[in-house]
Amino acid sequence: MANRTVLYDKHVALGAKMVEYAGWDMPLSYPGGQIAEHIAVRSEAGLFDVSHMGRLNISGSGAVDFLQKILSLNINSVNLGRAAYAIIPNENGGAIDDAFIYRFEEGSWLLVVNAANTQSVLSHISPIADELGATIDDVTGDLAMISLQGPKSKDILFEASENLYLLPFKNSTGECDICGYPVKLSRTGYTGEPLGFELFVPADGAIKVWEALCGLGASPAGLASRDTLRLEASMPLYGHEYGQGPDGNEIPALAFSLAAASVSFSEAKGSYIGRDALKRQFEAHEKIKKEDFAGIEALGQVIRPFTATGSGIARAGDKVFLGDRHVGFVTSGTIAPYFEWEGYGINSQVTQQTKRRSIGLMLIDAECITEERFEAEIRGKRTPIALVSYHIRSDAPPYSRPIVYGWSAEKEQPKQAEYAELARDLVSNAIANHNFRQQEAINLIPSEMTLSKAVRLLSGTDPSFRYAEHRKLKSYYSEDIFYYQGTGFIQKVEELLNIELSSFLGAKAVESRALSGQMANTIAFSALTSYKNRANRKAEPKRLGYVLNNHLSFGGHLSAQPMGALKDFIAFDPNTDRRALVNIPVRRDNPYKPDIEQTKALIEQYRPELIIFGKSMILYKEPVSEIREFIDSIGLDAFIMYDMAHVLGLYGPYFQEPLKEGANLVTASTHKTFYGTQRGLLAGNFESDDLLWEEIQSRAFPGATSNHHLGTMLGLLMASYEMNAFKDTYPKAVISNARSFAASLADAGFGVEGDPADGYTETHQAIVRVGYSKGIEIAERLEANGIITNFQQTPAEEGFSASGGLRMGTSEMTRFGFGPEQFGELAELMADCVLHGKNVRSAVAKLRSQFTDMRYCLDESVGADMLESLRSLY
Amino acid sequence: MQVPESLLYTKEHEWIKTEADTAYIGVTDYAQDALGDIAYVEMPEIGAKLERESVLCTLESPKAVAEVFMPVDGVVIEVNSALEEEPGDINTDPYGSWLAKVQLSEGSSTQGLLKAEGYIEYLKTIDEAH
Repeated sequence: MANRTVLYDKHVALGAKMVEYAGWDMPLSYPGGQIAEHIAVRSEAGLFDVSHMGRLNISGSGAVDFLQKILSLNINSVNLGRAAYAIIPNENGGAIDDAFIYRFEEGSWLLVVNAANTQSVLSHISPIADELGATIDDVTGDLAMISLQGPKSKDILFEASENLYLLPFKNSTGECDICGYPVKLSRTGYTGEPLGFELFVPADGAIKVWEALCGLGASPAGLASRDTLRLEASMPLYGHEYGQGPDGNEIPALAFSLAAASVSFSEAKGSYIGRDALKRQFEAHEKIKKEDFAGIEALGQVIRPFTATGSGIARAGDKVFLGDRHVGFVTSGTIAPYFEWEGYGINSQVTQQTKRRSIGLMLIDAECITEERFEAEIRGKRTPIALVSYHIRSDAPPYSRPIVYGWSAEKEQPKQAEYAELARDLVSNAIANHNFRQQEAINLIPSEMTLSKAVRLLSGTDPSFRYAEHRKLKSYYSEDIFYYQGTGFIQKVEELLNIELSSFLGAKAVESRALSGQMANTIAFSALTSYKNRANRKAEPKRLGYVLNNHLSFGGHLSAQPMGALKDFIAFDPNTDRRALVNIPVRRDNPYKPDIEQTKALIEQYRPELIIFGKSMILYKEPVSEIREFIDSIGLDAFIMYDMAHVLGLYGPYFQEPLKEGANLVTASTHKTFYGTQRGLLAGNFESDDLLWEEIQSRAFPGATSNHHLGTMLGLLMASYEMNAFKDTYPKAVISNARSFAASLADAGFGVEGDPADGYTETHQAIVRVGYSKGIEIAERLEANGIITNFQQTPAEEGFSASGGLRMGTSEMTRFGFGPEQFGELAELMADCVLHGKNVRSAVAKLRSQFTDMRYCLDESVGADMLESLRSLY
Repeated sequence: MQVPESLLYTKEHEWIKTEADTAYIGVTDYAQDALGDIAYVEMPEIGAKLERESVLCTLESPKAVAEVFMPVDGVVIEVNSALEEEPGDINTDPYGSWLAKVQLSEGSSTQGLLKAEGYIEYLKTIDEAH
């Protein structure tokens, strides 16, 4: 008799059609049918009993060596609290199985393997475990395994559980209690859903947990829909995409490109079973990626998704042809439903309409992958199929989205007109936009500032659009040499600007040629890299590492990430095969604040050479002096940089002064809380002949820009006069307005991020919660009512498309004269619009119309006549 | 499992409803249940002359393919093309979802086909075998 999971009786009671699968009696589908189950997972949430899978607990003093020996991945890359996909290779570079490894706690790992392979895996790995001093406990019977998948799965899980703490990243693991049972879980699954969880439940609690999750709206789903879901996600199944292929030969593990991301050849991993064969496959894989098909014998065939473009459903084993040439086989094929979406881009909405498409995976000769149109032979008849990259995308949570072959946008084309008419239209639309933004709309984007009249008008005057390249030459005692004539005026402007910025920041040295904060960071990272390699210019330069920064999801600047300006400058850690980056841990009770003790522990562990403070979602001061004191106390010579893009205009005693607190360098953009124009800067207490400072200047020019936008530099000088003139009143007003606005928003009924006990915020920002994944829709509604905010992914959310917050800043409206009273009124209007569904457009325009004159500026001092002269220049 | 009295059946789980010299052909409740969610129907060509026990059309679920056989000799004169759009109707209403209408060939007979009672008996033997 086949094995039964602890949920067997439940499946039978639910009326499931039971089948024997890999020696287990499992539900194939429930009475609603597998298509309804597939749809339920994609639109709501599905619940799978996957307790048939093998669960092996690995521990013991030799556990790391053992896992390095039997898995394709580098086990050092799996941090505590993470899970990862791996191959269990054989010596030939085939797969004995594919597996997931979960690291819930120190000292032990949970290896989950396919039910059909549990015994073969065990007989393969047990002798190795004995040899290396690892212990394998088969806990398949002790722990049930339940998979909860789909866009509603997170709501259901949080509703069902207590004490759940789980980071919003794919493959993170966590723990919680459900129905009083301790449950381990991870953000993993086999459906391609961006939200999905695998739960490891004590066997005696499985039925109660299952019932609780169903009671909250998860639909039971069986093996049949599990298969169509995994195929739609182009995920492999052993026996189809791994193991023996349709032609009877073993499929090389890396034929499936997901496997290529799960192999390591690092020294730290050392030799392991199948390494040499996998290395040959990997080298071929790299060539194939570059469409170089010579010498790829180790990986002659690869697996790619396809969709049928004619009638019929290609099934596993069907032959694939390219023209008359037989080039491979279908490894898995089915027909699967998908939802139609309507609209475009971020505003696209799922409809209730479903369609079906025939999809699958095929193993084809590698040199064919540049082709698109193939044919499959279905019961003797050829039908056209198309090689595609994927069938669904999961990078816009909470939904996975179907990518349909041949889709094209049917957008309205811009109207045909004479250029004379187009020119007039453009000017008239620009005037309308300017008036809306300057007089009717209330702008709360915290990254933005609007300019005073003097700054705006100066920015368009003559030095704009010209060049003024310059660099210091030691032959002239490091005097700046300008390469063009006619630059006398702008040279003076730049000198004055640097003096003003130096005074504002209390910094000895300022570089103001960067055109943006992002460019300032690129200059900083490039200069630090060059400085690091100053002793040897003849070798490949070493990159930066370790770097400690704020994670993007917790507010870290995009430009301080490997996906931003750090990309080309950060090293890989040879021990982990990952970027030499660690993130500042945040507090569980308030993720907007760093966990200082954990941060210190990480600093001791990784001894970073660069620490980057600063965030774009920033409610609190950064712990510069605490960390400076700490690194000094442990004798660590780390470079501390603070990206003040958002908070430059708040620099001073009301907020913080990083250069006094121990930061080596401040970078910033000049147009968020600072008064504009849109540029960037770098500043620090460097002597002019400091080698690093020289690097910074040379990375600005000629490294980053030779045309540093002279008009906005002139405007920035006026803005810097304004900043210094109002340094004692403006930052204080902005911050107290933000605190007052946050409190008013809370009074009006919004959930406000941050801690009420400390006034929610210490910056210009206030963040409200508007409901999981509702941020985009609410921000659009507010814009239609004249209130410009930005939707914000809060620390609990998985991506921008799941944004549940709005991020707002008080700086621009403070300059237009808003005080606590007006921010209070605004909070009420927002509540009327967002919480009570009212139209507040005219009330917003009325409020705004009383505050159209800019304060904290020098327009009055310049005088109306001078401003008019400036305007008349255009 | 529904087995309407008014129809004739085959051991391959087709049903047939004759009206003078034409007949409607479909699959039984048992067949649709065994196949699971039907997601694709490949209809025969109109005008196709088919002998008894030859393949009339193909039904596919995500998991499996099933062929539907002619219970009689005949020529296809109409197909239920609505099922190409909504093949799941075969699951929800197997006896309302005729697949094809055929013109019975001269001399074609329904001899050997099962009446409802006989088909029910036959289903029992299958169940026992499991």
